[in-house]
Amino acid sequence: MTVLILNALVNGILLGGVLALLAFGMNLIFGVVKVIHMAYGQSVMLGMYVIYTLTEIYNVPLISSCLIAVIAMTLLGGLMHLLVVQKLLTANRLNQLLALAGLIIVYENFAQVIWGADLRGIPVFLPVFNIGEVFIKTSNLIAFIGSLVVLGLLYFFLHKTYIGLAIRATAQDVECARLMGINPKKIYLTTMMVGSAMTGVIAAFFTPIYSVHPHFGGSFTMMAFIIVVLGGMGNLMGGFIGAFVIGIVTSLTGALASIEAAEIVALIIFVLVVLIRPQGLMGGKQTR
Amino acid sequence: MLDIESIDVYYGKFQALFDLNMRIGEQETVITVGPNGAGKSTLLKAISGLQPAKRGKITFMGQPIEKFPPHKIVELGLVYVPESGRVFPNLTVIENLKIGSYTRRARVHFKPSLEEVFDLFPRLAEREKQIAETLSGGERQMLAVARSLMARPKLILLDEPSMGLAPLIVSQLFKFISAIKKGGYSILMVEQNVVKALKLCDRAYLLELGTVKLEGNREFFGKEEYIRQSYLGV
Repeated sequence: MTVLILNALVNGILLGGVLALLAFGMNLIFGVVKVIHMAYGQSVMLGMYVIYTLTEIYNVPLISSCLIAVIAMTLLGGLMHLLVVQKLLTANRLNQLLALAGLIIVYENFAQVIWGADLRGIPVFLPVFNIGEVFIKTSNLIAFIGSLVVLGLLYFFLHKTYIGLAIRATAQDVECARLMGINPKKIYLTTMMVGSAMTGVIAAFFTPIYSVHPHFGGSFTMMAFIIVVLGGMGNLMGGFIGAFVIGIVTSLTGALASIEAAEIVALIIFVLVVLIRPQGLMGGKQTR
Repeated sequence: MLDIESIDVYYGKFQALFDLNMRIGEQETVITVGPNGAGKSTLLKAISGLQPAKRGKITFMGQPIEKFPPHKIVELGLVYVPESGRVFPNLTVIENLKIGSYTRRARVHFKPSLEEVFDLFPRLAEREKQIAETLSGGERQMLAVARSLMARPKLILLDEPSMGLAPLIVSQLFKFISAIKKGGYSILMVEQNVVKALKLCDRAYLLELGTVKLEGNREFFGKEEYIRQSYLGV
């Protein structure tokens, strides 16, 4: 029993790292552009298809296809911003939500038309190793470490570069940011592209772990959204902590009950947070 | 340096400024006084591009700017310091100053600008790493002023810098502003504290009901009966 729990705990932490990166992108976009990127998981799904197509059909080396997927998702995010989000910045919340939720349907059906409904995966065989009685998949460990490294790079980007600083300033006070010489239009586009780049990165980390299908993204959009709400919307640190909470809780539930129960527990946490602490664990503090 | 020719400014259907004219010369310090709702802040918002004028012309150093977005106006060296120490609350002091030098023109001078600003406001140097939110009201106002200097401005618009501050802090703040004035900047200041502001300025405008009611140099303004009765309380 303790071994089971220990294993679940370790895997929960590993999952938490990836979820932290997943939620970070959505959170950043919400914090700065103030829209909820509903098709976030779907963008991960498209990224995985890009990697699959390049490696399996065009025989591009896996690493190169992953890099191309990141670039492709960055551009897709930019395109989506220019075509959809930018036009809705001053629209009311409901219209924004509906338009972005509409993208879910666009992305999923696009995938279905191009790749069909079958599971597509790349056979990547990575070993499983053990420390004592705890078994760890190398692919999960790579995803975990990779996610933390990317989060570190993002932290550096947001805190040490002018453009990162401008992104944080815009998140806090757009009008004041304009008085500093910042063009919010550019900042919104940049944020959308950086946030979307993360979906490409996650697609790369997911490729050795999961097979992809057109509806693969749904549960990850939901997970990311739950984490963002749990941490406090727009609060990047809260999202980071929230990701580990959700990772560990779902992993433990999955081990002790079933995977299906894990999603239920995650949703129960979501409902409880909305009911009891709608500002999230870390409150409404802004992007730091 | 700055020429405002008969501007009309609206908030939706509500007109806030009517046919307003104003001029600020090279290295001149000009104050604008007037009751609440006279349109003083609106004037600064119109110049800085936040609330563009519907009609009329604004010319800054020979360039028409009335159609420019705020970030373009900042590039030209016209910097607006918004009211009540509006700094970025979750950025540190140094980050606030850094973002002040965001424009390409100012960015290359970041280091020398920072030294100048820290010389002028040693208090901010001490609090470099502190989150702006945790500063006192006076410190925040100083940071807002310091941040505008980081942009290498030619003309600074100050929106009620003394608002909500204790008298002692206000005196301190006015010392800083007079030091900035000596640094060769042009200043347009909107201020409630008419006595203190008059001592500092070269010329003054009185705004009432969205238009200029009186204008003149410091001596004229200090002696004018209407001003003495309504704004100086003597």
